[in-house]
Amino acid sequence: MTRPGFGRDLILAAAALAVLVALPLIFPSKALVDFVLRCSAYALFATSLNLLVGYSGMVSFGHGMFFGLGAYSFGLLMQRTEMPIPAAFVLTIGITALVAFVIGLICVRLKEVYFAFLTLAFQMLLYSLILLWVPLTGGDQGLSGGIPRPVFLGIDLTKPRHLYLTACTLLIVGLLLMRHIVESPFGYTLRVIRDNPERAAFLGIDVERMKLVAFVLAGIFGSIGGVVIAVFVSGAYPDFAYWTASGDGIFMIMIGGITTFLGPAVGTVILLLLNDFVTRITDYYGLVLGPIIVLFALGLRRGVTDVLVEAWRFCSRNAGPVEGGALTMPAKGESTAPAPAARLLKRELKG
Amino acid sequence: MDLSALLNCVTSPACIVTQATSGLIIGTLLFLVAAGLTLIFGVLKVTNFTHGSFYMLGAYFALTIFKLTGSYLLTLFGGAALTAVVALMFERLFISRVYGRNVLMQLLVCYGFVLIFDDAVKFIWGPDFKAMGMPAAFQSPPLLIAGGVVPKYYLFLVGVTTAIAIVLWLVVERTRFGKTVRAAALNPAMVSALGINIGVLYGLVFALGGLLAGFAGALAAPVRSLTPGMGFSVLIESFIVTVIGGMGSIGGALIGSVLIGLIRTFGSIGFPLFTEGLMYLFMVVVLISRPTGLFGREFA
Amino acid sequence: MLSVDNLSKSFGGVAAIRNVTLDFPAESLTAIIGPNGAGKTTFFNLISGAVVPDDGRVLLDGVDLVGLSRPEIVRRGIARAFQVANIFPSLTVEESLMVAVQAHHRRAGVIGRRFPLANSGKPAEEVMDMLGLADKAGTLCANLSHGDQKLLDIALALVLEPRVLLLDEPTAGMGPEERWQMINKVHRLWERKRITVIFIEHDMDIVFKIARSIRVLCYGQVLAEGAPDEIRGNPEVVAAYLGTDPEARP
Repeated sequence: MTRPGFGRDLILAAAALAVLVALPLIFPSKALVDFVLRCSAYALFATSLNLLVGYSGMVSFGHGMFFGLGAYSFGLLMQRTEMPIPAAFVLTIGITALVAFVIGLICVRLKEVYFAFLTLAFQMLLYSLILLWVPLTGGDQGLSGGIPRPVFLGIDLTKPRHLYLTACTLLIVGLLLMRHIVESPFGYTLRVIRDNPERAAFLGIDVERMKLVAFVLAGIFGSIGGVVIAVFVSGAYPDFAYWTASGDGIFMIMIGGITTFLGPAVGTVILLLLNDFVTRITDYYGLVLGPIIVLFALGLRRGVTDVLVEAWRFCSRNAGPVEGGALTMPAKGESTAPAPAARLLKRELKG
Repeated sequence: MDLSALLNCVTSPACIVTQATSGLIIGTLLFLVAAGLTLIFGVLKVTNFTHGSFYMLGAYFALTIFKLTGSYLLTLFGGAALTAVVALMFERLFISRVYGRNVLMQLLVCYGFVLIFDDAVKFIWGPDFKAMGMPAAFQSPPLLIAGGVVPKYYLFLVGVTTAIAIVLWLVVERTRFGKTVRAAALNPAMVSALGINIGVLYGLVFALGGLLAGFAGALAAPVRSLTPGMGFSVLIESFIVTVIGGMGSIGGALIGSVLIGLIRTFGSIGFPLFTEGLMYLFMVVVLISRPTGLFGREFA
Repeated sequence: MLSVDNLSKSFGGVAAIRNVTLDFPAESLTAIIGPNGAGKTTFFNLISGAVVPDDGRVLLDGVDLVGLSRPEIVRRGIARAFQVANIFPSLTVEESLMVAVQAHHRRAGVIGRRFPLANSGKPAEEVMDMLGLADKAGTLCANLSHGDQKLLDIALALVLEPRVLLLDEPTAGMGPEERWQMINKVHRLWERKRITVIFIEHDMDIVFKIARSIRVLCYGQVLAEGAPDEIRGNPEVVAAYLGTDPEARP
């Protein structure tokens, strides 16, 4: 069975980068540039979250902590030290990896809801620390005074064009790397852990160790998103580490689709568009977004890209034995029986 | 960090009384909310992220009923009952469709409604802070116990909550309904096979959860300022309580909420900027040592 | 080769397995039978490391496995198939097997290359051919028929090149003809691979036709052990278990 190779991904990535680079030339608009920049940061974050949720079956409510950690680490390193941007970038990744490793060690052995809440607890703990440590972080005012952007390798991030190109490149490279991870043997090990962790152990897989690695990798890419947003707003704010950052991440991946690689990125674009659009026309943002979210959850029951992939698969098969919806990956924990009693009855009979 | 202030307080009976009663109030209100949450989780296996909104609705309904009738008794029961109705409708129309689905779908549906409820409240009652004011019956000067200030209303609050807790316990442990609910938590298929309408049962349990949250909101109305979004912090705290106490355990919710209440009050003296952080730290510590909470059971 | 020594396990006061001492020589084909609740699946759980015994030892070539993690026990050579097919719904048959192969080759954590690894394909193919799943290679596991799911379940254990293969009711949920097809496949692979196979089975016709030796468990204890003819004639076994219509499924 042929599987798309790295070559194909590379070509697609190059094409995407070309499109992004061309975009502001075709539609010169600061709003568009800003939008793409914000999307880059959040798409990296959302895709990294999906490494956990969609590919490993680990639902984290606290992923925003890495977004905030990335922003603050990078911001503080640049403000407080004389190091060049690439060095600060690498050090930020190192810091995030360390934090993710420690927190992951504690969290990954927990099951579903408890894992979700413990990650949330750690995130809010970090948030509280950020608010508390005023001399370091500026408290609820955030890192003020801007983030210095010395020139590196001929790139001057104070120039909008350079900033835009760097962010887009970070986005594409980050996505490419994450794509490689999920299509590697490790990526497929994660998929079996997601589908059936018990059986995975019986295949000789060290489930917890794999989950820990996934957690650290996801944290790293999440923090890169934080770096991008920090450079974009030239600062870091406690909001980046607030639970809403995690919540936004979850909505982005659910709206975009957790079974496809680009689903989270699509969801990011949709959610940011919705945010911008709705806040412009009404004060009652919740009354618009709320029903939309409920509609997604109850109606589509999966993300946009999930629906598209399903539709495409259905159309490209002729008279194949398709059991409604069975071609897509069943979302973790989802069953085909509608009523709770029936599903539990099935489980009882399995014994 | 102000450890000297904290030390001063715990060595002063007046301070202990004041802070402990404040903590108890926070705890009891939190317990009502958390009890509903843990009940819904234990029986329906649903993590109800909308629960904070029920608390908010209880408070706002109370506000309006009190303005219209002036009777606090009516306010209390009316606010709670209206909230229960909303909860029931929410369950029948929406939550029932996500039973058995993964927690993310449930989260999505609930969060959508949090947004809707928050904005609906903003729309109907306005975005600014509102106060219900203390009912006339409790407007007398506070009691002085060991030098500490204890508003009469606090005593009423603790009394009512204790009464509700006892009634709840009686219902769950001693009535047929309670037995059915407990059986459904363990084995819904069997309960259904015995001819009991699981759908109605689930609806009632959800409504009960909403009732408790609504009570909490109505009880809190005289002593808290009302604002759309007041549900959120309650939600987070009640989740912390349920997780600490063990999801599905009402006794655990009681212990957890009292602990959190005390941590809040005494913590705000010793660690004024880190009070929230203390709670999260506590939750982290508990979950590390006892992953299913203090009294939790593993749910399959 | 595999033996258990004085194995015991209780759940909440109820003894599921009590002082069980059994021996399974290399390359043997043994059936474990017994009424429902006799502790057969618990026995498998104890051997495979899914459950830790209260007492006793599980010896593989003289080395005690008790206390080792499940992945570690798998790496020592004990692989297991399940009563209810325990598979990976969102992957295809071939993908599932290749993941198993790469795990077996200790390459589960490789990030530097693309999946599938070069030497994952052949072992997977071999097992699929052996069990008759080759034409389903590209099918999503969620779409497989019940019988094929059970075959895949066994394939996932087989592809790990185990020394001991535990099959928990390989014919469960199948009609009479399918059952024989399945057990014949099991028999053929035992003959080809010369591994130690232990299977739990309720269909007595199958047991007496295929198994080379039988162990009978009842109420968590060993009731009898020996060749099929000995067991058939054993009055205790007949009374406890075979007294009922052997065709009746529990």
